[in-house]
Parts: sequence; C-alpha cells; structure tokens
Amino acid sequence: MALASIDKLTFSYPGAAPALRDVSLRIEDGEALLLLGASGSGKSTLLRALAGLVPWFHGGRFEGRVQVAGRDTRRTRPAELAGTVASVFQDPEDQVVLGGVEAEVAFGLENVGAPPREIAARVRAALEAVGAAHLEGRRVTELSGGELQRVCLASALALEPLLLLLDEPTSQLDREGAEAFLEHALGNGAAVVLSEQRPATALRYADRVVFMERGRVLLDAPRDDAVEWLDEHRPAWTQQPSNSLLRAGKETVCRVERVSFAYGDGPLVLDGVSLELRCGEVVALTGPNGCGKTTLAKLAAGLLEPQAGSVERGGRAAFLLQDPGRYLVRERADEEVALGGDLAAARRTLADVGLVGCDARHPRDLSSGERERLALATVLVGDPGLLVLDEPTRGIDPERKRELAALLRAQAGARATLVVTHDAAFARAVADREVSLVPEPETVLA
Amino acid sequence: MRPSAAALLLLGLALTALVAHRLWAVGALALVLLAVCLRAGRRAKPYLWGTLFSAGFVFLLSPLLQSTGYHVLWSGPDLPVLGQVDVTTEELRIAGINALRLAAVGLAFAAYALLLDHDRLIAAATARRSVLAAALATRLVPTLERDAAGLVEALRGRGLPPEGLRGHAALLSPLLAGSLERGLNLAEAMEARGFGRPGRTRVPAPAWQLRDYGAVALSITAIAVAALWL
Repeated sequence: MALASIDKLTFSYPGAAPALRDVSLRIEDGEALLLLGASGSGKSTLLRALAGLVPWFHGGRFEGRVQVAGRDTRRTRPAELAGTVASVFQDPEDQVVLGGVEAEVAFGLENVGAPPREIAARVRAALEAVGAAHLEGRRVTELSGGELQRVCLASALALEPLLLLLDEPTSQLDREGAEAFLEHALGNGAAVVLSEQRPATALRYADRVVFMERGRVLLDAPRDDAVEWLDEHRPAWTQQPSNSLLRAGKETVCRVERVSFAYGDGPLVLDGVSLELRCGEVVALTGPNGCGKTTLAKLAAGLLEPQAGSVERGGRAAFLLQDPGRYLVRERADEEVALGGDLAAARRTLADVGLVGCDARHPRDLSSGERERLALATVLVGDPGLLVLDEPTRGIDPERKRELAALLRAQAGARATLVVTHDAAFARAVADREVSLVPEPETVLA
Repeated sequence: MRPSAAALLLLGLALTALVAHRLWAVGALALVLLAVCLRAGRRAKPYLWGTLFSAGFVFLLSPLLQSTGYHVLWSGPDLPVLGQVDVTTEELRIAGINALRLAAVGLAFAAYALLLDHDRLIAAATARRSVLAAALATRLVPTLERDAAGLVEALRGRGLPPEGLRGHAALLSPLLAGSLERGLNLAEAMEARGFGRPGRTRVPAPAWQLRDYGAVALSITAIAVAALWL
C-alpha cells in the first residue's frame, strides 16, 4: 500500500477556477518525488492537499480523495496529521512561531505529544542533521534567510515524519546552500515531495518527477524518463540557457570606488570594493549568501551611503528589493505600477512582463511569481538610467526566467543593468559580464 | 531570573506606579524602568517614542479637560462643551502624575517585550494558548517596524520616497494588509505543525530559584508600600 495516494482530486479555492483538476498520484515509502511546473500550475496546492491544509484551512470545493498513511484528509485535521506529515514552506519568515532556535524546533514536538524527556535530544539531533548545530542559543531574528530555512527543515525533521513536503525551500539559498539543504532533506529516509523552480540540483536527487500544468499532471515518470521528456517538451527546465550576444558597455553610468560599509556597530560587510556599470550592458553580481551583494547593489543605487569610498551615478536609479511582492502599496496592479503616473504606460509595462489581463487585479491576489513580475514592472516603468534587481528570479519558473532574461536584454541598450543573483543559469542567460563577490578577480563571461 | 518571575516583577512595578500617589515615587519608578529598557539598546527606540508620545499627550491634554484647583496659572477662552479652559497648579500636578503612570506602564511593557525570553514564558504558562497569542502580539511591533522600513525602501528604490505625514500615513493600509497576510501564513504553518491538537507535552522547565521567589516578593511588597505610604 502506498504511503500517500491522491485519487481524482479536483480542488478550487473559494470563488476561483480549479487549482487542481483530476489529479491522481501515489507516493511510496522513502520515495523522493520532484514536483515541477510553472507558477500557478498547482504545485503548492497539491502539497497543501497532502498536508490536509486543503481543504481544512483554505476552504473551497474539494472532490476526490487524498489519503496519507491510511488516513483520509477530509476526516483528519492537519494538526492530527502533523508528525506523520511535516511541511516546509517557501518563506521561512512566515512559518517561524517562537523566538529561540531550540524552542522553535521543539514547538512541533510538543504539539504532537513527544515524551518531554526526549524533546531536547531530538531537537539537538535535528539541528545536527541539517548542519545547524551551531545555531543553538541564537534568536531567530538574528538568522539569515538560509539559516532560518535550515531551522525550519530541522523543525520538520525533528518530527521524524513519514512524508516530508517541501515547497520551494531553497529559493533563498546559493547553490552550495541549496545542495546541502537537499542532501539533508532527502537523506533521512522519509518520503519527500519537493516543489522546485531551480530543477538542476533537485533532479540529481529525485527518484520520480511529476510535471504539472494548469492544475493537471502532465507527466509522472521516473527521473531519467522525465529528463528525456523535459528535454523534448519543456527544454527550459533542463537546458542551461546562455547569452550568445555579449555586448561591451558604452559610457559609465555608475562608478563605485573602494567603498566600505557596515550596518550599525557591526563588522564591515564591504571593505574597499569597486564596481563599474556601463550603459548598454547587463552585469550579474554573484557570490555566496551573506557576502554583501545586496549591500553593494544598494550602494550603487543610492539607497545606502558608503562609510568610505565614493559612488558616482549619472541618471536616475531604480532598485528592486528582494521579496518585493511584500511591499506593494496600491489595490490595482496598474495603479501599483503607475503610482500616480501614466496608467497607459503602466499597462504596457505589465504586458511586457507577461501580466496581460491583470491590470485590475489586486496585487495581493496574484501568485508569488506574478507578484515578482508586477514588482519588476514597477521599476521598469520609469525608464531608469540604472536598473538594479536584487534576486529577481525568486519564485519564477524557468520559462518565465528566460522571458525575463530576454526582456532585460532587449531593454538593456538604454541603461546599465545590475542583477544580483545566486541563480547561475539566469546569470549566464542575462549577463554580459559577471562580477563575483568572492575573493576572486572580476570574471568576464565569454 | 526566570522569565515568569521577571514578568511578575514588571507587572508588580506597573501596578505600583498605578497605585502610588506621590509624584516623586512614580517618577522614580519610571526612571528605573527606563534604565531597564535602555539595556535593549537601539531596539528600544520605537517603544520609547511610543511611550513618550502617549505620556506627553496625556500631560498636555488632561489639564484642559479638568476643572480642579484654585491656583490658576493660565486662563483661556470659554469653549462650547468644554466650558472655561484654564490651567491650574493642581491640574498640572495631576496631569504629571498620570503621564508618569502611563510612562511607567508603557516602559514596563517595553521591558517585557524587549528583554524577556517569551519562549520560556510560554513553556512555563498553564494557559499556553493565551500566552502564545500574547507573545505573538508582542512581536507585532518589531515586525511592523521592519515591514514599514521595507515599504519605505521599496518606494525609495522606485524613486518615489514617501513624503510628509500624508505620504507615510498612506503606508498604513498596505502595512496592515501585509500584517494580516503574514498572520494567515503563520496560522497555516501552526496548524500544519500540530498546534491545537490534544495531548501536547512540554519541555521540562527548571525549578524556581531563590531570586525568582525574591522577585515576586519584591513585586508584592512594592504594591503594598505604594498603597499604604506612597
């Protein structure tokens, strides 16, 4: 008998079109299943159905049956499934309940009634298993996104679940961090269902791949067969794009010279770093988590002032924050982009980023990938001389990433563009030049 | 000191400030609590501004709404509803003591929010659900502060920084919407992690030490002394 089974599941959120249509799936003990599909294809909804959160938490219309460890999710509350099932969601900040690392990991164990004398040992073991033992005693507010994501994984693994559900858990991690995370997550014997937008690493660990489109399962196959199918039918998911037309920049738009910066009384984040951005070129700024990429980008855009060194800029700069979908201020997508300016231009820009027909929608009703594109439109609309994008591909599927790369390159001639990213494939697709913030000299893609 | 004992001590000091009638006693208590809050460093800033603003508002407004005392310092106009507006020495004294009381209560809450380990407080609580709700609510201020900074930074990045009171006030609605969205996500994560399921256990807590009992005794003594002599 399968550990989990989904039979002919069709589900609609209240007042919406079906997010899942006639989905059937079986998950065996210890299996690693990779869930792929474009933004809004139903991956997150499927994970929520396996956790019982659909329909219990979200309501809506539910047809079909989902069983996990022999229990029907329509008759078993998500809280009662906890322990058998454990989830790690995309954004760690929205799932952390308590303030200290150990208390946070212990929270789920206490809820499921773990023997009190075992809790401390299981917390320690889970933190060690994800390489986060050094975080014991820390406050969660002091942790980086990557560290917090590991604490969330430790919280899930401490429950010793039979089924582990991971919804884009590596979106904030650099490549090394993502690999380490997946090794920890998949090496614990639990069956794992993993949704990913950067499939290259995850494909190495998966036993089986499910590809979803518009709420339906388009492919359910063993990994090698799935890779062949993806190569043929959805090449963006397996093939590494490259930028065949490298351009040399023209006049300098921004010159950052020997800047140093520290937040408050903390240690120096940047020390004597220089960067030059020229009109017509796209520069990818890469490096591991915590190396100061965002700080350098903010200095270049004028959002921070250096404590030493200088920044010279010609023309207006626009900066797109990480996780920009959180920081939307209007109640219609077109008004959000225009922000009191030209509505017609705003609608054209929305179309440029692939949000045709979304003009009147409330920004918070959009999916996370759509919000990222809306936020991108808000900075593109003013035709800035310097465009700085901080991790613009988070939550965006590979096909949309290609479109984004093409868009940025098509518009690159009129400005200098700096893209901060740990998505190596996107950097190759979009950039004329890559600047790495590790102790290596500047490298030029060619 | 255990967080539950520290919380009881802070509650005792706040009650003492409410019970005491002497200006110097309430002022001294507010100063002690201010010194405690300053240990939190820069994190204390929004709490201190909030407390200062509220206490200042009470001090400025309440003399205008009262009609107490004979030693008139300033005579104002005769207004509809309010009547004769004047300020007396006695009204100023009452306003001062009320403002200091409010400041002391606000600072006691700030010390609770900034310096106590809420995880251990929740672990020790009998009414865990209520205490967890209170602890999550306590985190609202720093979370809102971070979100507000993010909103302002996002607008600066678009070249449209919010300007003036009106510009900043316009951020309240998206701030609230973001907060509600975060609350929903958190509730979903808590449900998925078994919150509310019967049969929960807790990590064994260490026993109370002498200083914990001392803190509770000090708290009760302070209230009694304030009620009888201050």
